Amino acid sequence: MSYRPCGNYHQYYKQDHAWWQTKFVWGKMILLFIAVFYLFPQFAGMYLISIANVVGYTILSAMGVQLLIGYCGQVTLGHAAFLAMGAYTCTLLMLQLHIPYPIAMVMGGIVGGLWSVLFGLPSARVKGFYLIMTTMAAQFLTVEFFITQYVSQIGGRGVAFSIPPGAVKIGPWMIKDDKDVYYLMVILVVLLTVIMANLVRSKIGRAWIAIRDNDIAAETMGVNIVLYKLLAFFVAGFFGGIAGAFWVTSLAAVSPEHFHFGWSLWLVGVILIGGVGSIHGTIFGALFMTLIPEGLKFLIFVLTQNPVFVDIMPFLPLLLEKFLFVKEAAFGLAIALFLIYEPNGISYRWWQIKNYFNLWPFSY
Amino acid sequence: MEIFLQLLITGILVGSIYALVALGWTLIYKCSGVLNLAMGELTLIGAYVCLTFYHWGIPFVLALFFTLVIGFILGILTEIIFLRPMVGEPHLAVIMVTVGLAFFFKGLVMLIWGTDTVVFSPPVFPIQPVFLGKVVVGQVFLWAFVASIILLVAFVSFFKFTKWGLSMQATADDEMAALSLGVNAKVVYALAWAIAFMAAGVGGTLLGNINGLNISVGYLGLLVLPAVVLGGLNSIPGAIVGGLVIGILQNLADGYLSRFTPGGVKEVFPFAVMVIVLLFKPYGLWGWVRIERV
Amino acid sequence: MRIKMVIAISFILCFFSSLALSQEVRVGALQDTTGATSDVGKDEALGVREATQYFNDTGGINGKRIRLFQYDYGYRVPEAITTYKRFRDYDKVVMVLGWGTGDTEALSPTINADKMPYLSSSFSGHLCDPKKTPYNFVYGTDYSTNARGAITYWFEEVWKKDPKWKELRDKGTKPKFVCFIDTASPYATAPIKAIKDQATILGFDIGPDQNVSLFALDTKSQVIAAKGFGANLVWHGNTTMSVSAAVKDASALGLGADHIVNNWGFDENLPKLGGPAAEGVIGLLGCALFIDEYPAKSRVIEYAKKLNPGIPLENRLIRTVQGWVKVGMAVEAMKKADKAGKLNGPGIKDAFETFKDWPGLKEYGGQLVTLTPTDHRYSSIVRVARVIKGKPQTIGEIDMKAKFPDRWAGWLGW
Repeated sequence: MSYRPCGNYHQYYKQDHAWWQTKFVWGKMILLFIAVFYLFPQFAGMYLISIANVVGYTILSAMGVQLLIGYCGQVTLGHAAFLAMGAYTCTLLMLQLHIPYPIAMVMGGIVGGLWSVLFGLPSARVKGFYLIMTTMAAQFLTVEFFITQYVSQIGGRGVAFSIPPGAVKIGPWMIKDDKDVYYLMVILVVLLTVIMANLVRSKIGRAWIAIRDNDIAAETMGVNIVLYKLLAFFVAGFFGGIAGAFWVTSLAAVSPEHFHFGWSLWLVGVILIGGVGSIHGTIFGALFMTLIPEGLKFLIFVLTQNPVFVDIMPFLPLLLEKFLFVKEAAFGLAIALFLIYEPNGISYRWWQIKNYFNLWPFSY
Repeated sequence: MEIFLQLLITGILVGSIYALVALGWTLIYKCSGVLNLAMGELTLIGAYVCLTFYHWGIPFVLALFFTLVIGFILGILTEIIFLRPMVGEPHLAVIMVTVGLAFFFKGLVMLIWGTDTVVFSPPVFPIQPVFLGKVVVGQVFLWAFVASIILLVAFVSFFKFTKWGLSMQATADDEMAALSLGVNAKVVYALAWAIAFMAAGVGGTLLGNINGLNISVGYLGLLVLPAVVLGGLNSIPGAIVGGLVIGILQNLADGYLSRFTPGGVKEVFPFAVMVIVLLFKPYGLWGWVRIERV
Repeated sequence: MRIKMVIAISFILCFFSSLALSQEVRVGALQDTTGATSDVGKDEALGVREATQYFNDTGGINGKRIRLFQYDYGYRVPEAITTYKRFRDYDKVVMVLGWGTGDTEALSPTINADKMPYLSSSFSGHLCDPKKTPYNFVYGTDYSTNARGAITYWFEEVWKKDPKWKELRDKGTKPKFVCFIDTASPYATAPIKAIKDQATILGFDIGPDQNVSLFALDTKSQVIAAKGFGANLVWHGNTTMSVSAAVKDASALGLGADHIVNNWGFDENLPKLGGPAAEGVIGLLGCALFIDEYPAKSRVIEYAKKLNPGIPLENRLIRTVQGWVKVGMAVEAMKKADKAGKLNGPGIKDAFETFKDWPGLKEYGGQLVTLTPTDHRYSSIVRVARVIKGKPQTIGEIDMKAKFPDRWAGWLGW
């Protein structure tokens, strides 16, 4: 539900479905684009850019989860498995077969999607908690077993694949430092967001939402639920694969530890905190879940490494690990309390704030 | 054959501990519909609390009893602080709260007790192995098995024969009907968490007695999930059988299948079995089949 | 309000202070104090910090203070990568003291491109071939040489002499050999190829590897499988936690084999955790134990007491001494590089490669160090110890270069 300023009316359905409906929104979005593409990379330091990359990666990975949980109602706790398939496919193709990065990335996406469909197959029969368990099994079977024990042993020993600097390039554009990764990340995020937003407002998206709201009712309305569920799994897996293949660029090496069960849970946390069933939510959630721990970590590093503090209180560096544990506990507590006191996520609060300003001063 | 028997018996003995923890898990699910991903951390807390008491010089049985008391209190507190406000919220949000709790508890455990392996010293159970025919079994395992069986019997009879047990069963069956008959649902939920904490605590203590205690005991919390799914999420006998089956499968798989793979079978085999069972029996072996109407 | 002011001022102070100190040498250290190898990593982190303090108190790098950045990475490769980037881009360090095998091997192409000397606590043989990894250095006898030496020692001193094996020996059976390793951990798998090669040379009967996780507490099924094979000798490739669990299970299930433990699984903690089951376990040592007698002992203990008074001395391990060895070697290289006027990546690398029978580590019970531009193996001497009466004691040294002179050169980079 959004309110337009007075004097704005729509003559065509097309206008009604437009993303940016007023000049003001256009201006806002253009400013945002300038900020994201020019101002931020120009003026932020390397450290901030590397954090921005993590945020972008989280957005990319959580997008598929948002699709599955938020739009299709299929809960997944194993999304890291699909990221892993994408990342490993991409890396293997690049390092072993010397396929150019963009093609390897798309292949990674496709493999991630197919892998996701494989573990989505039980969704035809099971649902609810039993489906959660199946996707969890996908996580353990894929990452802990298939990838750790087989895939990552390809090409000599070692669990981590090293990616020599300069191996990743798109045409003449060599992706070598965090700034290049940042540009690639922004392009991918915009692209995926556009695809996602278009999907959910099309026939496919409506079918997904029908399944989410009540799958039996959707079936009686003529929605082929098995097909659409599997399609959702494929698209989510594809997004995941792309995210995994993207993350390879910013790493010196890819190892199964990048895709452990905690990361799957993390992604679900991202969309829950951001807001389920909202593309904005994915972005807000990713910001929250990356910036809070990063801020805590920054604080810890300042406290334990900075000479001023260390000279005054020489015991501080020794407390480093204690601080790290406190950080973990505090973060867990933050998630729990956030969900207790703001169960609709940040995007709901955002919507409220926006409406407050739109309707100010008479909000009734 | 001897190896088979050895693996089988080891599996049953370890499985009995899994069964105990799985029982606690099922209880929470049955009574309040919460899929608890913090179960592993509950076992950790219980185990470390017991270890601390034991190292203060309190006899083991008494330490275990105190652990139960602490578990009871912590369970009720957790329910009141974190889970009660979530009643009626979407299931997924509740699951995520338990994930947050898992982080929280794990951070606390590491903060208080560190990440090193600690052992019960002096050892609670004698370390000389016992021979059952040709099969060698560590005494710890035998005692753990006995303790699990005693506790399983105690818990099951609590459900069958006490007022609170019956009201828990009633709430699990139909919350509305139970409420209308005067069952206090709040107490029942709190009780479910308390019992889960207690069961997990004992399970963790027993595991910790085998070879020592570190953060990896919390992995048990994930292993419990295939166990309960195998049995059917809301079946108490299912949880017990599921726990035993997972223990046996793990050991047999490692004994016989690991030579065909580079490794890792022991950890993932329960999950593979779980997926296969789900394909044929979508509600586990004894779970309730839900009939949905529009 | 006042609190906010204090916070704001202290933040400003931080930033200025980091600008103010320019005459300093920045060194990054990756430590694991919370992860899978924290059982050994925590103590090493303390040792590194204490040793750095000592070298700063005695003049630093020719008068320049060493500024140490110690970060915990929880033994996770992803965290190691981000932390390394932080060292490189944000802290601007001249060299890195690394930790695990997985992360060191994963990072090695990157540090190569960045020309960043990397002295790691992983003694993986794969890091010792300068043709592939020119910027990687280790501060102990590499795992592969160690593993070869240990089983050679066992074969010659125990299998051929010990009355325990007399019956089998007289029957002429081959010793049966099994590895207990975390197959997913590069640290554990690093020496496996070499050890199997050596076992073939010595004529052992090699059984299937048993996968034991670094965190393992229950290793029954693995021990049963080894028992089914009839193992006489078990190689433990993990760290102390899981080694002690495996040794205990082996004793509980009556395996009856001898155990050899890699150097990060063998320290004062093993008898503490393993109890009587750890008696007689053979292991590898890189330097002196904390409780041993060695020339630098008083210094090590003085700094342990001074900087970490909260930790009782009886809880300190050989890892502290290893921390000193690590820092000592890095400082020596940096001093040399600084004298040559090239205190930067390539300069430090060249300085390392001029080490010839450097005796600096003898103070800590280490070996004479020789590094050349073609061979980064620190030494060829393998030091074997055994748990006797609940305490690890050195029982012998074996020089692999002298023993297998024709094969030694070919073992580079295994």
